[in-house]
Amino acid sequence: MIIHKDRLVESRSTFIFICLLGFVLIPALYLGGILSIGDINMLGRFMTFAILALGLDLLWGYVGILSLCQFTFFCMGAYAMGMHLAHHGGPEGIIDSNGWKIPACLFVVYPYEVGESSGDALVPGFWKPFWNLPVTIVLGLCIPALASFVLSFFVFRSRVRGVYFAILTQAIAVACWLVLCRNDVKLCGTNGLTRFDVIAPSGSLFTFNPVDATNDWKGVHADNPNMDLNQDGFVDQLDYSIANVGFSLSDPGVQLSLYLITVTCLLGSYLLCRWIVNSRLGKVLVAIRDDEPTLNFFGYKPYKFKIFAFCIAATLAGLAGLLYVPQMKIVTPSNMEAVRSVMVVVWVAVGGRGSLGGAILGALVVNLLYNYLTSEHDYGFFQWSPDYWPIFLGLMFVVVVLFLPKGLIELVDRVKSTTFLKSIKKQEAES
Amino acid sequence: MRASQIETAVSNTDLDRLIKNLASPHADLVKSSIGELAKTGDPRLEKFFELYRQGSVYNWPTESGDVRIVVNEETIMDDDFNEFAPLLDPLSGEPYLVSDVQATPDLLELEDISPSRKLRSLVNSSKFLLRLFSTDYTVRLSGVKKCGDPSFLPAAIPYLEEIANDETEDEKIRFTAKESIGLMILSGAVEAKKSPEDRLFALSQLGDLKSLRAYARLDTFEGELESMPELSSLELSEAKASISFIRNKIQDHKDTVELSGNLFRGVSYGSVLVLIALGLAITFGLMGVINMAHGELMMIGAYTTYEVQMLFGHTPDNPVNHYYLVALPIAFLVAALVGLIMEGLVVRHLYNRPLESLLATWGVGLLLIQVVRIIYGDNIGVNSPTWARGGFEISQDIVLPYARLYLLGLSVLSVAFIYFIIRKTRFGMLIRATMQNRDMASSLGVRTRKIDRLTFALGSGIAGVAGYGWTIIGGVTPDMGQTNFIVDSFLVVVTGGVGELLGVICSGLGIGVLTKLIEPLEIGTFTVGPVWGKVILLALIVAFIQYRPSGLFAPKGRLADKK
Repeated sequence: MIIHKDRLVESRSTFIFICLLGFVLIPALYLGGILSIGDINMLGRFMTFAILALGLDLLWGYVGILSLCQFTFFCMGAYAMGMHLAHHGGPEGIIDSNGWKIPACLFVVYPYEVGESSGDALVPGFWKPFWNLPVTIVLGLCIPALASFVLSFFVFRSRVRGVYFAILTQAIAVACWLVLCRNDVKLCGTNGLTRFDVIAPSGSLFTFNPVDATNDWKGVHADNPNMDLNQDGFVDQLDYSIANVGFSLSDPGVQLSLYLITVTCLLGSYLLCRWIVNSRLGKVLVAIRDDEPTLNFFGYKPYKFKIFAFCIAATLAGLAGLLYVPQMKIVTPSNMEAVRSVMVVVWVAVGGRGSLGGAILGALVVNLLYNYLTSEHDYGFFQWSPDYWPIFLGLMFVVVVLFLPKGLIELVDRVKSTTFLKSIKKQEAES
Repeated sequence: MRASQIETAVSNTDLDRLIKNLASPHADLVKSSIGELAKTGDPRLEKFFELYRQGSVYNWPTESGDVRIVVNEETIMDDDFNEFAPLLDPLSGEPYLVSDVQATPDLLELEDISPSRKLRSLVNSSKFLLRLFSTDYTVRLSGVKKCGDPSFLPAAIPYLEEIANDETEDEKIRFTAKESIGLMILSGAVEAKKSPEDRLFALSQLGDLKSLRAYARLDTFEGELESMPELSSLELSEAKASISFIRNKIQDHKDTVELSGNLFRGVSYGSVLVLIALGLAITFGLMGVINMAHGELMMIGAYTTYEVQMLFGHTPDNPVNHYYLVALPIAFLVAALVGLIMEGLVVRHLYNRPLESLLATWGVGLLLIQVVRIIYGDNIGVNSPTWARGGFEISQDIVLPYARLYLLGLSVLSVAFIYFIIRKTRFGMLIRATMQNRDMASSLGVRTRKIDRLTFALGSGIAGVAGYGWTIIGGVTPDMGQTNFIVDSFLVVVTGGVGELLGVICSGLGIGVLTKLIEPLEIGTFTVGPVWGKVILLALIVAFIQYRPSGLFAPKGRLADKK
C-alpha cells in the first residue's frame, strides 16, 4: 500500500503548521510592526497560489495526471472576481443606455464595430451576473468546475493519458490565452481588468443590478438626515458612488481580513484534500496512479475518478483566483500564459509531489524566492541581477527532478525523523 | 529586340550630349531630348529629373562658352553676402571636381535652365517613364504597374502600347502593360477616350484579362456611370449588366487565386510544422523523451545561422549569399552538440520517466533562453539571402515565394535524410532495435547508451535545421521556441501518432492546410482569423483524439502498451 500511516502524522503537522504560521505568527509579526501591510498582502497572494498547488498536487501527486492548464482555471475564477470588482470599481467609466456602468478598463478597449459610436457601447450581457457577490463566488467556482468536467469527460473517456494529456492541456492553455488577449471577447484584452475600488458593498450582496441597488439604498436611507439630496430632494437615480459604499481594497484592515480569509480557505482546501486522500476514494486515486490497467480489471472505471480529481483541482484553482484578485487589484491574461501553469508544477515538484504539505510549502518557498531574487542584490563578491532568475529557476527544475524527486518535504521529514529517533533513543537511555 | 533595350546601352557620351541639349534655347530640342533621355532607362536619371524639375540643374558655361550641366542644391553665403554654389555631377551625384577640388563658383556664374511650366509636367512624367525602359526587370515591372495606378500617367500610353505589342518582352510585363492601359481608360484619365463606350470597352478587355486590379475599381466606375447625365436609363442598365458580367468573371478568377493561394500557404505552413516536429518525432516518438527544450534547440539553430551570417559579413546591401548554405550543416552540428550535452547531463537519468523529463527539459529550456538573452539581447536580425526575396509566378496572380519554396524543399530533404538514416543505414537499424527492445539489443552487443546519445543528438540536430530554416521567413528571438513552436510541434506528433515518420508528415501537412483553410473563413460578419482558427483547430484535434487516441498511425502490438 502506498499510503502509510505516517502520512497521517505528517498531515497533522501540516495542519498545525498552517494554523500557527497563517493565523498566529504572520498576524503577530504584522501587529508587532515587523511585517508591513504590503507584505501581508503579498503573503496572502502566495497563499492563494498554495491553494492552486494543492489542487495540482491532488491531481499529479496522487492520481498521476499532469495538468498544464491550472492557471487557466485560476483565471476563470480571477476574471469572475475581476468583473465583479470592476462593476463596483472607481468613479471612472460611463453609464450605458441600459443604466449599467461600463467600467473604465472595459470602456478604454471596447471593441466598437465599424460605424458604431462610443455612445453605443453596452455592458456585455455576460458581465451582468457578476454584479452580485454571492453569484460571483458561485460562478467563480462553478465555471472552472464545469469547464474542467467537459474537458476531462471527453479526454479521459477516450483514454488520453500521461504525456498526451499534459500536452493537450498546455495547448488548451495557449489557446485560451490567445483568446483572452483579444479585445473582442470584451474582457479588456491584454490590459486586463483593473481600476478596482471596493469589495462587498451592500448593493452587491442583496441586489442583482445597479438600478435595484440604488433604489434599495434610497429605501433604507430615505429618512437619513445626513443623506446628500439633490434639489428635488432625491438621490440621483443612478448615483454609483452611493450604491458602492463598501470596504475599500486599499484599507489595511480590509487587506488583513482578505489575508485571513485566504488562510481560512487554504486550511479548508487542505482539509478537503486530506479527507479525499485519506478516504477509500483516495486509495482508488493512488491506485490509478500506480497501475491503471489493473484497476480496470477490478471493475473500477478509472476515468470517473480522474474526472472527479480534475474537477476538484479546477475548482480549487477557481477559488484561488477568486481570492487572488482583490489582493492583487489587477488581473491580466499574462496569468494564463503557458509558463505560468508550468510554474505550478514546479511549486509542487519543489515542495514534494504526493504530499499535500509539500505542495503548500513549495508554493510558498518558490514564490518567496522569486520575490527575493527578482531584485538586485549585492553580496560583495557577487552581483545578483534579476536577469539570473530564469537561469536559477531552470537549474532548480533540473536539480529538483534529478536529485530531490520527493521535494523539500523529504528534507523536512528526514530532519523530523532523525530528531524523532534521537528523542526515542534519549528516552530509551533514560529508562 | 525592342528599340528601348538597344538604347539602354547608350554610352555616357550620348547621355552627356542629350543632357547638354537641355540648355538649348530651342524648346523643341529640349522637349525631344527629355523624351530621348527617358527612353534610355538609365536609373541615374530618376534623381536627375527630380532635380531638374525642382530647378536645381544649372548650366555653368566654360570660359570658351561650352555647355557644362551641373547640379546645385544648396548655396553657401560668405561674410560679404556673396553666394557660392557647391556643384554636384548631374549623373553620379558626386561633387563636381575641377582639378580635384569641388567646384564652388559664384552663383552668378550659373545659368538657370529649369524647365518651363509647359515642360515641367513632361519632366515629371519622364521620371516615371524612365522606369519603363529600365533594364532591371523588377523596376520595369513596377514602372509599368505604376502607370495604371492613381494618379494615372496617360503620357505613358504610347510606350505601354509598344511594350504590350513587343513579342520579345516578358509575358508578365506585357500583361501588366495591357492592364495599365485598360485601367487608365477605365478611370477616364485619357482625354481621347473619355466616353462611357470607350471606358466600357476597356473594362470588357480587362475582364478578358481577368484583371484583379480592375476588380477594385468596378464599384467606383458603376457609381460614376450612374451620375452621368448623358446616359439614358436603357444604356445605363445595359452597362450595368455588362459590369456585373465582368465582375462575376473576375470574381471566379479571384476565388481560384485565393483558394490556390490558401492551399499553398497551408502546404507551406504544413512543411514548416513537419520540419519542426521532425526532430521531436525522433526524441519523443522514438525515445519517449518529452523534450520541452526542443524549441530552444531550434532557437540555437537560428542563432547559429546568425553567427555564420556575421562571420561572412552578409548584409542586404552587401550580399554574401552562400553563407546560407554553409550555415545549414553548422546549425545541425551545433544543435546536435547542445543536444548531446543535454542528454549526458540531464536526459539520460530520465528515460522512462516522461513527466519528469518534461519538467527537467523545460528547465533546461528556460536556462538556454536566458543565457542567449544575456548574450545577444532581445532581438537580432538575420538577413535572409537575397535570392529568397520575390517569388515564382506559376500562373496569373498565383505567386509562390522563393523563401517558402526553399523551406518546402528543406523539409522534404530533411524527411528524406531522416528516413534514409533510420531505414537504410546500420545506425538506423541499431536505433530501431534499441528503441523496440532495449534489453534484447543490449544482450546482442548493441551499445545502447551510445545509441541513445546519438539518437538524441540526431533529433536535436534536426531541430537546429528547423530553426535555421525558420530564419528565412520569421523573426529570431530568444523565446521563439516557447512562443511559436513547442505546443504546435507536440500537437503534430501527438496527432500523427508517436513513433511514425509518416504520421508526422500527414498530420503536419494536414494541420497546416486545415489552418490556412479555416483562417480566411467568414461566418456572417465574423472572420475567423488566426486566433479563433487555432482554437477551432484545437477543438478538432481533441475531437479527433476521441476516436483515435493514439493518433493517425497508432503503434500496434506490444509497443501500444507502453505509456
